[in-house]
Amino acid sequence: MSDYVLRTARLTKRYKQQLALRDVDLAIKKGAIYGFIGQNGAGKSTLIRVAAGLAYPTSGSLELFGQAGEERLTEARRRIGTIIEGPALYPQMNAADNLEAHRLLKGIPGKACVARMLALVGLQSAGRKKVKNFSLGMKQRLGLAIALLGDPEFLILDEPINGLDPMGVVEIRELLRRLNVEHGITILISSHILSELHLLATHYGIIHKGELLEQLTVEELNARCRQFLHVKTDDPAKAASVIETELGTTEFDVMPDGVVKLYKYMDVPGKVSTALVRAGLVIEEFMPMGEDLERYFMNRIGGADHE
Amino acid sequence: MSNLLRSELFKLRKDRSFRTLLAVLGVISLLYPLLIFYDDGTFSAAAVSVRDVFAGPAIGGDFYVLRMAPCVFAGFFISSEYAIGTMKTIGASGNGRLRIFWAKLTVFTLGTVVLAAVFPILSTGICAFVTGFRDMPGVGEASRLLGLTLLFAAAFASIMALCAIVLTDSGKTIGLLILFFILFDIIMTELAKKFAWIATLQEYSVLHLLDAIPAADAASGMTARLILVPVATYAAFACLGGYVFRKKEIK
Repeated sequence: MSDYVLRTARLTKRYKQQLALRDVDLAIKKGAIYGFIGQNGAGKSTLIRVAAGLAYPTSGSLELFGQAGEERLTEARRRIGTIIEGPALYPQMNAADNLEAHRLLKGIPGKACVARMLALVGLQSAGRKKVKNFSLGMKQRLGLAIALLGDPEFLILDEPINGLDPMGVVEIRELLRRLNVEHGITILISSHILSELHLLATHYGIIHKGELLEQLTVEELNARCRQFLHVKTDDPAKAASVIETELGTTEFDVMPDGVVKLYKYMDVPGKVSTALVRAGLVIEEFMPMGEDLERYFMNRIGGADHE
Repeated sequence: MSNLLRSELFKLRKDRSFRTLLAVLGVISLLYPLLIFYDDGTFSAAAVSVRDVFAGPAIGGDFYVLRMAPCVFAGFFISSEYAIGTMKTIGASGNGRLRIFWAKLTVFTLGTVVLAAVFPILSTGICAFVTGFRDMPGVGEASRLLGLTLLFAAAFASIMALCAIVLTDSGKTIGLLILFFILFDIIMTELAKKFAWIATLQEYSVLHLLDAIPAADAASGMTARLILVPVATYAAFACLGGYVFRKKEIK
């Protein structure tokens, strides 16, 4: 039994001249909420489409629940629920009929699950209203209900909170968290709303121009996003030496632009400035700073020109 | 595969294009007999033979229905699944691509056959009712003509399904299919003047053979051809469609 719900090895996808995915080694552990981050065209949807069996890799391999090979992957996909590039709904049908069509598609016995799913996403009062007249938020909820039909073990959600109002965002976040914690459902979620992802995900994958730059846990992210003193002087090397000798710490980084990120002395910044001034350094910038997921992502994919 | 068939049947029942086409064909079928009975400014059922109506305008008129209505149905029932994104859910549902296509083809064929049956049955039925069931076609003759027409409808459905699965856009599918089904014989006739093998191809094509249905009698070898060609066409396009859909990436 594999510990991984989804695992890829050197997964590559090429569309004519364009390389959409390049040697992607992605691994999603059972029970994780995996936040998949990347710009438009970075390769998120391509990877999701390959995982869902809608596109075929040019090279490399893919495992779902430890299963590989076309037939076994098809079988394994019965255990997943998806929203890919927006909710897929029949606009002329009402919510219950949409769920019924998908219930039949998945071969789920009994109609009781239709009402249960409608209640779960708060659409029990949608009645006979046709989906074409739904708001985007209602469509997102219905898409989620469809994805949840058949109690999947793995949810693949591409931008599931687009178009939701603030209350809806909170409700969906809580629902996903509950599904993860109480039912053990693993979730792969891609979203442009990084602040929202930061509140939900337990693991992150950052993809840029088809390459998976990094995978990290929420603890690792928090460690890397920790608060620091941003110190810029006229002589970064000397500043580093002063911090090491006078302040007795090595918990700092000297960035390529000469900025020193000092992770200690946050509560007594005066001590730092005094030591630097005593050493004859001119302080150009000095302030407490901290990264969030958004800033971390920006820095990771190449920084300031994206801001 | 039964789950896929049940899902497709459910969608067919809810499909608005299918319902609209049925309603339009129903109205035309009811009104068409009036043209037959209208003569010199008066309505008269005196000289009308139901047998002639069935073998002539009812079946002949249905050939136009066959060439047009399922094209619209293919665009909305199959291609639109790409546009609204449901093809992605279906593709990711853990069902094999061949099964998905064949289930869709089966139900689309059923829908096409129903559409093809409406006009001849309803218009002939109205005629029979108005004339007091005078000179009715025999069961054998009626079932042969109708059966062959529906068999051709199925063959047409297989061609349309392949086109709909490839084109992924309702508008393109409808436009291209209508053009194809209207212009096929004209273009093939011109090409056949230059290439002998095209003449043979045309001779054995469902689009060409369709017009031979009313004239073929049970004793001639033509009936066998009228059975074998659509069956072979259906099998060939079902396999080809399945192969294409299996290779196709769903966007």
